[in-house]
Amino acid sequence: MSPPRLTGALRSFSNVSKKEDFTEHLDDLKAKRRKRHEWFARDGLTWQKIVHFCTEEQDKAKLQAASQELKSLLLAAKQIVGTEHGQEAIESAAVFLFETFHNKDHVGTEETRAIKQMFGPFPSSAAEASCACVARLVAPLGGSQIEDFIQTQSSRHNQRGLGFGRNIAFSYDCYTLDPLEDLTCSSIYDESASLDF
Amino acid sequence: MACARVPLDEQQVTEPGPLGKERTLPALHPERAEDRCFVPYKPPPEEGSPAEVEQFLERAKFITEDLEWLLALPHDKFWCQVVFDESLQRCLDSYLHHAPRGLDLAALPSSPAVADTQRSIHRVVFLTFLRMATHKESKENFITPTVFGEIIYENFLFDIPKILDLCVLFGKGNSQLLHKMIENIFTQQPSYYSDLDETVPTVLQVFDTILEKCGLHCEGATAMEPMKLNAHKQPTAMTMSQQELTDIVSYLCDSTTTIHAFLDIFPAACSSFYSHGFISRLTSFYETAVPDLEKAVRKRNFDDKGLQEDLWKRLSHSSRKMVETTHLLLHHTCLQPILEGRENMQTFAEELLQHFTSFLPEKRFLSDYDEQFPISDDVSLLQQAVPVIDETRTSYLLQGVESAWDSVGRRKPQ
Repeated sequence: MSPPRLTGALRSFSNVSKKEDFTEHLDDLKAKRRKRHEWFARDGLTWQKIVHFCTEEQDKAKLQAASQELKSLLLAAKQIVGTEHGQEAIESAAVFLFETFHNKDHVGTEETRAIKQMFGPFPSSAAEASCACVARLVAPLGGSQIEDFIQTQSSRHNQRGLGFGRNIAFSYDCYTLDPLEDLTCSSIYDESASLDF
Repeated sequence: MACARVPLDEQQVTEPGPLGKERTLPALHPERAEDRCFVPYKPPPEEGSPAEVEQFLERAKFITEDLEWLLALPHDKFWCQVVFDESLQRCLDSYLHHAPRGLDLAALPSSPAVADTQRSIHRVVFLTFLRMATHKESKENFITPTVFGEIIYENFLFDIPKILDLCVLFGKGNSQLLHKMIENIFTQQPSYYSDLDETVPTVLQVFDTILEKCGLHCEGATAMEPMKLNAHKQPTAMTMSQQELTDIVSYLCDSTTTIHAFLDIFPAACSSFYSHGFISRLTSFYETAVPDLEKAVRKRNFDDKGLQEDLWKRLSHSSRKMVETTHLLLHHTCLQPILEGRENMQTFAEELLQHFTSFLPEKRFLSDYDEQFPISDDVSLLQQAVPVIDETRTSYLLQGVESAWDSVGRRKPQ
């Protein structure tokens, strides 16, 4: 609970602000996860685009290897989203995994957290497998080529760092206690000294 | 995309509707806002379990991502979201309510991940408010100033408590930007001055409440009311529970810091506080409450000596802020007009002297004020700017200041 604040009193006892209902919505995170899922599925980057990107201009042997990796990635995605979901959800998860791991060589804390936030609890072997698949898929391609592809296709990546205020120098400084004196030096205001009848 | 060089509030856009058919709408229209479902902010857990920490990180990531998305939106879409998405306003409000202040008792987050996440969210919330306070982003992207004033006021995008929260949360390192933001808000919507005027009595009530909780009363506040017969049964700072004392000192610390931050960043608000007799109420409060609370913090038996030390620092910090606030008010309402050589200089000089004279009975306040802002310096300045000042009066005043130092048993630093 927040400590007592002046602005809390002003909100409660004056008529200059909107009376907000701050009752807790216990399932707000669940609803948010669902919303994010929907939003991600509508994102510009699709599974078809990834398949095309990974298989275009490849010789026969490389094409076969890439197709195999794409299949394995879909399989790993299926294990992560759960078998009860349809092909569309599985492909959308595979897109998410491709975006997450395209520039990673292992499954770190951030990636684990991102997958968990999107799909809930998941088998770690599936995350390891998808990370390895994506690494093998992007290995024959240039790093900048992949970045360009992701940047141009994904609206999620497009927004990063391009927003309002990106050039504003923001300071994280905050007000701290600035006492006049320590308790140990406070004898000057001792009771005996302030008796002034 | 909306048309260029026309204010957003007059623009129309043609875009596909929900059934795919083209339609023309005002650029600012609820149907153009996305159902983004912003989540409210909750502060980092204090010594929380790993699960609670995870939940904080997840929530904070959602908020940061969503606000980054909002900031990346084009001007018209940004304003549609801001005006018509209630979940966004709840999210921003919850941050102002619950974001930890630098002065809070709770320790800062120990986990680097929590601290980093908190920093990210802090920045992006500020940038969102900054964009909301800007009616002209570029030659192409702007809102008619009067309409902007109506939008922010009617939709409570800013209100006085929010502005005070912004000052105390972001003011330390971003005072210039905040000054511009608040100045623009008040310029485009003068109703905020009326709201401020309406708020000052509630601020004064906060100080009265603190006195009441300590079993004290203040001149000018409830002096006209007869004392209740059972008043002596009320707990005092010495007898109330330790938790109550802690809450009162924290409340005082937060209140004095917030008021000072606001007036320091936006001095134009000083006149509203001044006109409500804030100076005399504050000095009277200081004289009554500070020695009483100091005594309680010093004399009471604390098992946790760290807490005692912390409460003392908070009290001492609050005292400093009250003195600095009084100085800010006097400076901006009396001294500044004299220094600028405005008309009626003598009236301002007279008011300043009257205030100083009214401090004479408040000996503890007076000596603390004089220590930080020597009254002799201001008197000397007055004598130079307004030579007709009565010397007998100034000598009487300066003698009173010396006597205040003696009465509280302190020696004035040379």
